Amino acid sequence: MDFSFSVSGTPEVDLKDSYDVVIIGAGPAGLTAAIYASRAQLSTLVVNKGVAGGLAASTEWIENYPGFPEGVSGAELGRAMQAQAQRFGAEIFNGEPETLDIASHPKRIKLSGKDITTRAVIIATGTTPKKLNVPGEAELTGRGVSYCATCDGPFFKDKQIVVVGAGSSGVQESIFLAKFAAKITIVEFLPTIQAEKILVERFEKTGKGAFILNHELLGIEGADKVAGVRIRERSSGSERLLSCDGVFLYVGLAPQTAPFADAVGLDKWGYIEVDSSQRTSIEGVWAAGDVTAGATRQIAAAVGAGATAAIEAEHYLSSKS
Amino acid sequence: MGMLKDEDKKYLTEQFEEKMVDPVPILLFSQKLECEYCQPTEQILTELAELSDKLTLDIRNLQIESADAKEFEIDKVPAIILLRDDKDQGIRFFGIPSGYEFSSLLAAILDVSAGTNDIPDDLRAKIAAIDKPVDIKVFVTPTCPYCPGAVRAAHKIAMLNPDHIRGQMIETTEFPHLANKYAVYGVPKTVINENVQFEGTMPDQAVVEHVLAALSSRD
Repeated sequence: MDFSFSVSGTPEVDLKDSYDVVIIGAGPAGLTAAIYASRAQLSTLVVNKGVAGGLAASTEWIENYPGFPEGVSGAELGRAMQAQAQRFGAEIFNGEPETLDIASHPKRIKLSGKDITTRAVIIATGTTPKKLNVPGEAELTGRGVSYCATCDGPFFKDKQIVVVGAGSSGVQESIFLAKFAAKITIVEFLPTIQAEKILVERFEKTGKGAFILNHELLGIEGADKVAGVRIRERSSGSERLLSCDGVFLYVGLAPQTAPFADAVGLDKWGYIEVDSSQRTSIEGVWAAGDVTAGATRQIAAAVGAGATAAIEAEHYLSSKS
Repeated sequence: MGMLKDEDKKYLTEQFEEKMVDPVPILLFSQKLECEYCQPTEQILTELAELSDKLTLDIRNLQIESADAKEFEIDKVPAIILLRDDKDQGIRFFGIPSGYEFSSLLAAILDVSAGTNDIPDDLRAKIAAIDKPVDIKVFVTPTCPYCPGAVRAAHKIAMLNPDHIRGQMIETTEFPHLANKYAVYGVPKTVINENVQFEGTMPDQAVVEHVLAALSSRD
């Protein structure tokens, strides 16, 4: 047996009354911003819900982040980024803002019942897996419908799985699911596979995979747990039921902007608009990573944007003091 | 070779040195046979306990010391209990705390050592007022990055009223009969007193409300 032990748990911090910079989100963009801000000797607080590394942390193995010729686990990368930020004094608070006023000067945030102020905010809240909102999806979530292969894959040992979405996320997670499942069928709306070729080859090598292209997912069926999916061939319109025990959805991502949506400018898809300095429409507020408009959703890009946001925030703060 | 990496040992030694206040005795119920995860759990806890003078590990056998097991309501192994001044803190880990759940264990150790946690005062009062038994089971897998949030909530609530509340982490893959019984196909899944359940991670306040709902629906 092979075990790993994550030490990335964030110990409770004694919150100060005020900070130079508060960063919301601890994925690659947020943690990189924290490294730059704390190393520039700004008092820095990272507010994070969940584990260090963000969405990258639920990726089993990352092969395209420079510096790791053999690849690196998402969990390990997140942990290392967090440790690096903490080394320069960044504090990490585990939780969500209860209230938030980012338009005021200074900006006000309520955390765990305590009011704090900050002169600058960097939003790096990333994205969350999108739901398709087909019949049966909400009712059967946690009963065979899942959005997290690394979480729920072990429940489908020797079972039949349908993965919806043949993008890179869908195929990559299918490779992970092949460790457990007997068979994985990837259903894709478009007539072509969108995933990177290297991932498709690896998926095919598992010998457990098949693609069904140009099919629409109409609904997920099952009484108290998933029994199958109903799909429709898009050109002929013919429908059929594909029986399975689990359905994993990788149909895209939605930005997590709920607490800021009324304050900062968003594009028509709900992503935060930023300029080349990662500035948002509000003075003293920057955004970085997957939550921003036009993001390529790559760790390497998020890291770059996080660094830019922190450097720009530092310039802003020094010009104001 | 050890299970903990040298760099992690160094990091944890510093964390414990800086943040541990009072000693935390760790009690592990284990057995030699027919328990695939007992030996690795003994090993990781042994390595962990070596990193601080304030951590001690007491390994007991489920069969031989069955009276103790009964006292702590342990019916399966491996099972980890954290104590403070010899007093049960209501915190349970059933199954190996590997992967992301190792961070749940570390956080629980620091909370127990400090004798407190970050639950706000208004919720504390509601938790302290509970005078009936509450059992919070949180089903997890070690590879689930969202699970420690749910486990933390259960443990934090339990340690504020350990006479009445139990917060249990259950590593689902080790106890498939429980996964079946509670229909766990996705994690984290929380089951409170057999009658209230929810999937996913929620803020502490929402978990406390579910606990209160579980108590009122039983009356």
